[in-house]
Amino acid sequence: MKISVNWLKDHIDLEVDPDGLIDALNNIGLMVGGWEAFEDDIVLDIETYANRPDTLGHRGIAREIAVKFGLPFKELELPLDESSLETADLVDIQILNEDLCPRYTGLVVKGVRIESSPEWLQKRLRSMNLKPVNNVVDVSNYVLFATAQPIHTFDLGKIAGNRIIVRKAGKGESLLALDGSLLELDSEMLVIADESKPVALAGVIGGMDSSVTDSTTDIFIESASFHPGSIRSSAKKIGLQTDASYRFERHTDIAFPPLAAKMAASLLCRFGGKVSKGLLDVYPAPAKTKTVVLRRHRIRGLLGLDVEDGFVVETLESLGFLVEEKQPHIWQLKVPSFRIDIEREADVIEEIARFYGYDKIPTQLPPMEELEPIHDERRNRIESLRQVMFHQGYDEVVNLSFTHPEEESLFHTNRRPVVIRNPISTRASLLRTTLSGGLLQNIAWNRNRGAEGVQLFEMSKTYYRKENDSYGEDETLAFAATGLVGEDHWQGARIKADFFSLKGTCEALMSNLRYAACSFMELEHECFLKGAALSIHYKGQIVGCLGEVNPPVLKYFSIKEKVWLAELNLTRLFAKQPQPFMFSPISRFPSIERDLSIIIDKDVVFQDIREVIDRLSILNLEKYVLVDKFSGKPVPDGKASLSFRFVFRHSSKTLLAEDIDICQKQILAALRSAFKIHLREGESIDK
Amino acid sequence: MREIKNQIDAYRKELEKATARIKDAESLQELHTLFLGRKKGYVTLLMNAMKFLPPEEKRDAGQIINLFKKDVQDVLDGRQKSIQKSRIISFAADLTLPGRSPYWGAPHPLRLFQNRIESIFQKMGFSIEEGPEIETDFYNFEALNFPPEHPARDDWDTLYLDKDDWLLRTHTSPVQIRVMEKRKPPIRIICPGKVFRKEAPDPTHSPMFYQVEGLIVDHGITFAHLKGTIDFFLRTFFHEKIKVRFRPSFFPFTEPSAEVDISCTVCNQKDDNCRVCGGSGWVEILGAGMVDPQVLKNVNIDPEKYSGFAFGMGIDRTGMFQYQIPDLRYFFDNDLRFIRKFSRQ
Repeated sequence: MKISVNWLKDHIDLEVDPDGLIDALNNIGLMVGGWEAFEDDIVLDIETYANRPDTLGHRGIAREIAVKFGLPFKELELPLDESSLETADLVDIQILNEDLCPRYTGLVVKGVRIESSPEWLQKRLRSMNLKPVNNVVDVSNYVLFATAQPIHTFDLGKIAGNRIIVRKAGKGESLLALDGSLLELDSEMLVIADESKPVALAGVIGGMDSSVTDSTTDIFIESASFHPGSIRSSAKKIGLQTDASYRFERHTDIAFPPLAAKMAASLLCRFGGKVSKGLLDVYPAPAKTKTVVLRRHRIRGLLGLDVEDGFVVETLESLGFLVEEKQPHIWQLKVPSFRIDIEREADVIEEIARFYGYDKIPTQLPPMEELEPIHDERRNRIESLRQVMFHQGYDEVVNLSFTHPEEESLFHTNRRPVVIRNPISTRASLLRTTLSGGLLQNIAWNRNRGAEGVQLFEMSKTYYRKENDSYGEDETLAFAATGLVGEDHWQGARIKADFFSLKGTCEALMSNLRYAACSFMELEHECFLKGAALSIHYKGQIVGCLGEVNPPVLKYFSIKEKVWLAELNLTRLFAKQPQPFMFSPISRFPSIERDLSIIIDKDVVFQDIREVIDRLSILNLEKYVLVDKFSGKPVPDGKASLSFRFVFRHSSKTLLAEDIDICQKQILAALRSAFKIHLREGESIDK
Repeated sequence: MREIKNQIDAYRKELEKATARIKDAESLQELHTLFLGRKKGYVTLLMNAMKFLPPEEKRDAGQIINLFKKDVQDVLDGRQKSIQKSRIISFAADLTLPGRSPYWGAPHPLRLFQNRIESIFQKMGFSIEEGPEIETDFYNFEALNFPPEHPARDDWDTLYLDKDDWLLRTHTSPVQIRVMEKRKPPIRIICPGKVFRKEAPDPTHSPMFYQVEGLIVDHGITFAHLKGTIDFFLRTFFHEKIKVRFRPSFFPFTEPSAEVDISCTVCNQKDDNCRVCGGSGWVEILGAGMVDPQVLKNVNIDPEKYSGFAFGMGIDRTGMFQYQIPDLRYFFDNDLRFIRKFSRQ
C-alpha cells in the first residue's frame, strides 16, 4: 500500500523525519518495504496484513501513527453545498440480496462541471501512481485511497428509471465494463442494476454505459458495503482485481459509507455541484458493536510483563475503543467497527504489545519443569542408514516429490499414484510412487557434466493411493550407482560399480539395523534387466529390490552406461521386529580356522547353501565366509568349486581338533545330502 | 720422511677402499675414528711419527700430513652428505605421494542445515516430531484458525489432490495440531519437513521446500519466553553478536504475532546499497507468535490454563542467506559439485 506522507498530514501534525516515521511504523507492524521521494513528498510502500483492511487507506495509517506518537487525530471538514432537493425524490435504492449487500448509501450531486482536477488532487493521485482522468473519476479514487472505502459514481441521467437495484445477475445478462471488456455475468454475481439492466458489477467494476462522461451533469454517488466472499468470487471469475475489489474482499468498515459519500459530495461541490438533501441509507440490519473483556492479569500472562493501566486505557481509547472499567483491572471494551481483526482478549493484548513495543518485552528462557523421555527409534534408524550410505560412498540428493505421468508409468510400481488437481504443470501432476526416477535424472545430469562415476541415494517419502482410496506415504530409501567408484589414485585403477557393490550396500544396511536375516529372490520386473535383479525379503514380505536398470528405462533418461539401482521400503521394514541385540562377552580362547573346498552343481545358488549351513546351528561356529569361487579346469563341467573358511571358537575353553572334526563332518553331511557335493582337497577330489 | 710418504700412500689406498664400503652413518663413523681418531687415528699416528724426524724435514712432513688430513676430511664429509641423501632414497617410494582413503558420501545441504537447527533446539529440550505430507484442509487450515474464504489462504497457495479436502501441506503446522490433539501439555517440539506451495520454480521459489516449526505449550508461557528462545536459537545458529529484532505481524494461528529479523550478516548494517538487505540492515528470518486461543480450543487445550508460542522458518531460505546461495533450485538440481561443497561446512 502506497502512503503519501503529506497526505497523512490531513489527519496528524507529523513532525518526524522519514527515518523516524519508518522506524515507528515498523515497530507497530506496518512494515515499510521501501520509500521514494515524490516531488516535495515522500511515498512509503507499506506491507499491510489481510486482517487489517482499515490500513488500506491514509486515514487508517494516520490513526495508527497518531496513537504511536500520542498525537491528536484530526477529522476533515466536509462542507456541503446543499440543494433543496431530497435525495429520496431523485433516486430509489432497493437491496434484493441483503446478505451480499448489508448497506448501501447514496447521494446525488447535480450540476457538476466535468473538468480536470485541481493540481493538489492530481498530485495526490500521481503519488498513488494513478493517472488523473477528470475531477469526478479522480474524486472517487481519492476517497478510496484516503479512507479505504471504495465509492462509485454514476451518471444519474443514464440510470433508467432513476432506480438502483442491488441484485444477483440474471441468466444471460452481460455488462460492458469501464475497461472496455464485455463481462458475461452469472447468477452468483452481485450487480448494481437500474430498472432494466446491470450498470455495475458490484464492488469490482462499473459499467461503461452509466459512466461519467464530459457531458454528465448529475452524479449519483454509491457508497456501500458488500460481502467479501461474493466480491472475491466475482473478481476471480472475471479475472480482474481492482482497487475497489481488493478492499471489499478484505472487508470494509460497515459504519463508514455515509462519511465516504459525504466526502465525495463535498469535493464535487467544489466543482459547481449541489448535493441532494438527506443521505439515502439502506441498512436493513445494523451491525452490533463487538465487545471484548480485557483482564490485566492476562496481559501479564501472555506478554510476561506488567503494563500500567494508564497506558492500556489511553492506547485503546486512541485506537477507537470505548473503554469501561467493570472491576479493578478488568475492562469492557467496545470495538470500533473498522477493526474486524479484533474479537478476543488476545487480539486486544496484541494491540497493547504493538504500541508498548515488542522491543520492551523482556527476553527470558521458558522454564522447563518436566521432560518426557524421548523414544525416537524411527529417526535414529533413518539417521543410522544415512551414515551407512555415506560410509559406502554415496552422496545424498533431494528431489522434488512430483513426477510426470509418462515417467511414473515407466517404473511399473503397481501402485496407484496420487493426482494433484491443480498442478503447476503436467510434468509435475503426480506424486511419485518411487524415488528411482529422480535418481536416474540426477545420474544423467551429473554424467552430462563430466562425472565419471555417480553413486547417490535419497531418503524421502513415496506416495500412493491405497485400496480403500485413502492416501499412503512410505518412507523410502533408494540408491543408484554407475561408472567408476571413488577418486583416481596413483596406486591403481578405480573399481567400477557393479551388481555386487550394490548388493553389498543392501547387506550393510540390513545388517546395520539387525535385519541381516533377510533373503533375496530372483526378480523379474520391467524396470530391471532380466536375470539381473533380486527382491529383498524379510519375514515373508518384500521390503525392497535391487538390480541392473533395464535399457529401455535408461534410454528414457538418455543414460548410456549401465546403472544399478535399489529401493527399500523403510516404512514396511521398520514395521517388522529386527533381531534383538544382545551383548555376549568376548572369548579369551583362541579360534580354529578350517578351510573347506567343495565341488557343487553350478545351478545351486549360494543363498541355498547358506541356509543349509545356518539351519545346522553348529555349536561354536563363530562365522564362515566364502573365500573363493571358480569353475573350469580342473573342476568338471557343470560344476563349481566353492571354498569356505569356517572359524570356530569356544567361550570357555580351547577347542581341540577333534571337536572341529565333528562339526566339519556335520556340515559336509548336510551339504552332501542337500546338494550332492564332493569335498575337494588339494588337487585331489574326495569322493 | 720417505716412510711417512709411503705410509700416507698406503692410508690413501685404504681410505679409497673403505669409503666404497661405507653404507651407513655407523660405518662412516668407524672410518672417521680410524683415520681421524684423536688418540689412535692414522693422522694422529702420522703426527706422532713426525716428532722423530730431523727438524729440517718436520715442516715439509707437517704440510704433507695436513694435506692428507684435509683430503680425508673432504672424502668423509662427501660421504656424509650422500648418506643423508640415500637415507631417503633407501625407502621404496616417495612418502609425500597422496594417501589413500575411501570416498565418504556427502550429505545434502538441506539435511545438513536441518540437522544443525534440530540439534540447537534439542539442546533446549525440544523433541522432534514429524507428520504426513498429504494433509486435510482441517489440519492445514481450519484447525489453525484460517476461516474458509479468508484472503490469508491466498498467501498459502495450495496444491490440492484429487479427493476433496485433501492437499499437500503448505506448512508443518498440521504436525503441531496432531501433537496437541494426542498429548497434554507440557509440549515442547519442533516439526521439520517438506512443505508444498503452488509456486513455479525460480531463483527464490519452489513448489517444494523445507520448513521447521516449533511449539511450546505449558502453564505460564509468555511472549518473553518466545523472545528468549528465538534469541538463543538465532545467536547460536548465526553468530553470538547478531542483533535480533521482533516486530508485529499477522498470522491466523498466532496472536500476538511477530516477524523476526536479524541484522544483515553480509553488510553488518553498513552498506546502504547492500544487495542482501537492500540497505535496511535487517533480514527477515522467522515468523512467530503466541498460539492463538482458538487454535488451543480446537485441540481441547484450555487457553485460560495454558499458553504457548510457535514459530516457523524456511530451512532452504535460511541456508541460502547464510551461505549466499544465489538460486533455490540448486538444492533440487542435485549437481554433485554443489552438494559436495557442503561436506566441508
